Amino acid sequence: MSLLDKLLILSLLTVVLALFMGNRKMAGWSVTVVYAGQLVALWMMSGLGYGEISEIRSAVELTIWQYRLHWQFDALSWFFAFITVAAAMLASWFSAGGWAQAYREQGGSIRLFNVALALNVLGMLVLLASGELLSLFIGWELVSWATFMLLALGSMRYAMHYLVYAIVGAVVILAAMLMTYVQVGSLEFNQVAEAAAGLDNTSIWWIGGLFVIGFGIKMALLPFHLWQTKAYAATPGPGAAFLGAISSRMGLFAIVLILVKLIGISRLLEMPISFTFLSARDLLAWVAVFTIIFPTLTALRQHDARRLLAWHGIGQGGYMLLGIVVADDLGSAGGLMHVFNHATYQAVLFMSVTAVVYRTGTSDLNKLGGLFTRMPLSFLAMLIGIIGLAGLPPMNGFVSKWLVYRSLIIDGSPMLFLGTVIGTLGTILSVYKLIHNTFLGQLRLEHETVEEAPLSMVLPMMLLSAVIFTTGFFPGLVLGWVASVQAAVGLPVLAYHAGGIDSANGGLDMIWVVSVLLAGFAIATLIFFSGGRSRRVHQLDNYAGGHFLTADTRYQYSDNFYPGLMHLIGPWYRSSFKRMEQGLVSMLDFLSMLASGWHRHGHPSFYLLTLVVVVLFTVVM
Amino acid sequence: MKRKDISIPVEQPKRSNPLANVFDELMDFCRSRSMFMLHYCTGCGAIELPPAMTSRFDMERLGIQPMVTPRQADILLITGYVSIKTLKRVIMTYEQMASPKYVVGICSCTVNGGMYWQSYATAKVLKDYLPVDIYIAGCMPRPEAVIEGLRELMSDIKQGKANSWQRYYKNYDYYLGNQQKLFGDNWQTPTDIIAEARHYNLISEQTEGKHTAVLQQHQKPLEAFEARLKHQQGQAREQ
Amino acid sequence: MSLQHLLTELVLMPIIAFVVGLFLVLMMRKLGARIQRRVGPPLLQPLYDILKLYGKQTQISHGLIHEIGIVMAVGGYIAAETFLPVPGMNGIADKGGLVTLAYIMMVPSLGLAMGVGQCANPNGSIGISRALTAMFAYDIPFILVIFGVAYQYGTTSLTDVIAIQQQQGMAGWGVVQMPLLFIAGLIALPAMMGKHPFEIYVAPAEIATGPMVEMGGKFLGGLFIMQCFQYYTISVLFVTLFLGGGENWLTFLIKVFAVAAIPLSIAYVFPRYRTEDVLRMMWKWPVILGLLGLALVMG
Repeated sequence: MSLLDKLLILSLLTVVLALFMGNRKMAGWSVTVVYAGQLVALWMMSGLGYGEISEIRSAVELTIWQYRLHWQFDALSWFFAFITVAAAMLASWFSAGGWAQAYREQGGSIRLFNVALALNVLGMLVLLASGELLSLFIGWELVSWATFMLLALGSMRYAMHYLVYAIVGAVVILAAMLMTYVQVGSLEFNQVAEAAAGLDNTSIWWIGGLFVIGFGIKMALLPFHLWQTKAYAATPGPGAAFLGAISSRMGLFAIVLILVKLIGISRLLEMPISFTFLSARDLLAWVAVFTIIFPTLTALRQHDARRLLAWHGIGQGGYMLLGIVVADDLGSAGGLMHVFNHATYQAVLFMSVTAVVYRTGTSDLNKLGGLFTRMPLSFLAMLIGIIGLAGLPPMNGFVSKWLVYRSLIIDGSPMLFLGTVIGTLGTILSVYKLIHNTFLGQLRLEHETVEEAPLSMVLPMMLLSAVIFTTGFFPGLVLGWVASVQAAVGLPVLAYHAGGIDSANGGLDMIWVVSVLLAGFAIATLIFFSGGRSRRVHQLDNYAGGHFLTADTRYQYSDNFYPGLMHLIGPWYRSSFKRMEQGLVSMLDFLSMLASGWHRHGHPSFYLLTLVVVVLFTVVM
Repeated sequence: MKRKDISIPVEQPKRSNPLANVFDELMDFCRSRSMFMLHYCTGCGAIELPPAMTSRFDMERLGIQPMVTPRQADILLITGYVSIKTLKRVIMTYEQMASPKYVVGICSCTVNGGMYWQSYATAKVLKDYLPVDIYIAGCMPRPEAVIEGLRELMSDIKQGKANSWQRYYKNYDYYLGNQQKLFGDNWQTPTDIIAEARHYNLISEQTEGKHTAVLQQHQKPLEAFEARLKHQQGQAREQ
Repeated sequence: MSLQHLLTELVLMPIIAFVVGLFLVLMMRKLGARIQRRVGPPLLQPLYDILKLYGKQTQISHGLIHEIGIVMAVGGYIAAETFLPVPGMNGIADKGGLVTLAYIMMVPSLGLAMGVGQCANPNGSIGISRALTAMFAYDIPFILVIFGVAYQYGTTSLTDVIAIQQQQGMAGWGVVQMPLLFIAGLIALPAMMGKHPFEIYVAPAEIATGPMVEMGGKFLGGLFIMQCFQYYTISVLFVTLFLGGGENWLTFLIKVFAVAAIPLSIAYVFPRYRTEDVLRMMWKWPVILGLLGLALVMG
């Protein structure tokens, strides 16, 4: 029995434990402890992450009709698994205390929640451990259904929406696998990879294209992104934190596996698209850039905090894919590192919003404001999270985005670069709106007695915030894992050091950047305190052009936060994707109506008439 | 109306550090050379300010600049008559300014009501309600007079004589009494002057008195919201 | 380079930036005054203003974040100065480079935005909303300029950019090599400095100076200091990218002041744009010029 088996058994145990503990008070805590156990088991495999071991195989093998199913972990799987289990542990920790109690009181079932979360983790671990394409598909289905279960806890309607997408995705993947099997005669990774070099461009187009569409649905690549936002936003808070952090990245994992490991990005460069100057890789890069731009700008229009974050979750996926398809050492490192970074800040942001919802009962940005004085730690968590999400120094999001920018400059793709920057700017605008409308501005009368979230919710947030800052300060901590992933999937390996990257033409040393930034803040603090003593005043002691303010009149600016911008770009939002989806749905509706019409109502006279006409026609002719 | 003598003796605290006086003089010099002005112009005198500010006389060469909100300003420039409604806003604006702050009354109306001295709706003598540093009389004073007045204020500031803003803290009861006479007993501004005086150690025996006692009976609490983790039950809450 | 030497540079660079920034502020005010046929403020006016504001005896704060916001606004720029090479001093320019600097320059603005948010004044929030919109407007041509320069010189290290330009003499300057990008940058420059005709987020008559509405005393003083740094940083960045940096302090300062003065003295005579017109303007002409310039650079 290898370590991998122990991990999977432990994960299975988590599901059983969650089932067994039911709605007991200790349910959440006990599950959290077992997640921690999984994390320890993963840490014992950390040789994978540091490139000391190349793979750990599972002792379990199944043979069905001469087809051998097997499972194994390599650096890529380990990297994703580590993020998954850590995210699950923190989400479970976050949910274990006060949140679970409130959830139970509202009529939710903690048993279902814990089981769904544990099943998700189990499914993801099985997926990540897959050793060939068939076990990948099995893992994929496990993850899809587990995700459905978690989403269904929030809103059945949106979960069904997801399910339709997931089934279409599964069918597409199945088709791609069949094509692969027909062309190659095997589903083993190394055999497929060998055979892929000999396949003609058309087959690669079909196989690669179908795989990317199938896995891209999970990752919410444009134009298959419509299911994600509403479903994630409706999921119970800690579940949304987990899903937002890592669930969609399973699609990225599979895409990396197929495109990088099996087909190879360099192969994509040799596949031109007729009548354009683009290659298949450029097409993917543009899909990634549009996945950054459109969802980010859509996020800008949201006034529900959870939906805003979920839209950003889609957008950030684009940076990862973009970095990976650029495929040089910097870009792919940026893309992979962004998986980790995104998981940290997205989780903390969802947690912070959940804490606000837990205390105030709403995530509507027009109904909040001024909560900093009441929930300072949640504010801190959100602040660190949004700096990470916007990709500004000194948080970790900056490092991964810097790597992607740098690789695009080296690659000489100004328009892709511009696209990523538009995404970043849009993100800055929308996250400021998020933090301003929640924590800054005027405190509402009804929120004056609000308290900070309980310790069980605050601690995981603080832990994640510390991780975001530390990995921004010493990006080498994560870049080590990323470098072994690059080696494992056959990408050029990044030369890194603890503070970032040394490069002849423009490196990055975050230790210096962050230290100088902190020193700057320290000096500015001294300058600040050199001035006269200040006195804090009540929020109603405020300039209002001579008006006397009262607490029951709102003196806050939150709705339609960017009117000037929307005046210009507002008409550009045409919800084309939504309409496309609706068109597709109504077309299917129509076809099925037609079919059921044929099936249900027999029209013997009509059939007979048709037959007679056809026979007469034949005879006459 | 009988006016109380409200002049206070100028205290000269002993400074052990000889550099402290140099520092104070430097600050006074900077204050005199950089005056941000909030002009509260509801009366007719407003028309004399544009020529004083723009290319004809150019106040900026003296370091005088117009500003927009009371937080940024040093000088409150009140031109023309002050109606009772206006006065409420003037007082609120004055209280929101950061000290040292100076009040300049322009036109005769601020001195004694001027041509509106018979009106039931104007507050005639500005210095009953706010400590005025300098009056520029005239109906209306020309821009030269305005600049002359401001230069006088400058030299007062430079010599450290323009300390009337302290009077507002130290004799708050007196000013509040006059304000209550005009606006009624339930008069309250959003700025907590007594707490501020206490915070900056500007309090004197005349700060609190029978008028502030009236205020405190109905005063809505104005403590700042401080960041905290737990809500205390006994904490003062705003109605 | 010894650690001691480096530390001296790290201390000196922000101080020099502040002093030069004071004079840049003075120059702007003088220019404005001269265009309006006024005399303008005396030589040390910016310093008087800052000292007076810090010396206010009562200071009004709206809470912890209000204070932290000002600290971040000033501190972010103090840090940014050490990434900008000046004659004889490189600081830690090799640890970050062009992209890093562009992003560090956003830290103070966001710190300020946070501080303003805590003031709970809708005028301030509208100001920040406009400021961020303006950032969205001018950063798009600016980013094209950054890309073009980085591609042209094959590096994102500012020290390398300067070294390459100085080796080739004036013919190697960015302005000669990439004239269109230079013009695109110059159009974006007044917006980056928040000056006429793009000061939509100050707009005293509309939104009561927006972000500054609740700032008094040392809070406003902090913003004045930040403004000095901001003018300096942007001017020096343009000198570095297009005018070969500085061979010595004299030519360097001449270039810095010229870069700030020329576009602004043209821009000063225009009235303020509306927010959406700033976007329209910034996304049209400088972007077209920038794309043409990029095509030339990369072609």
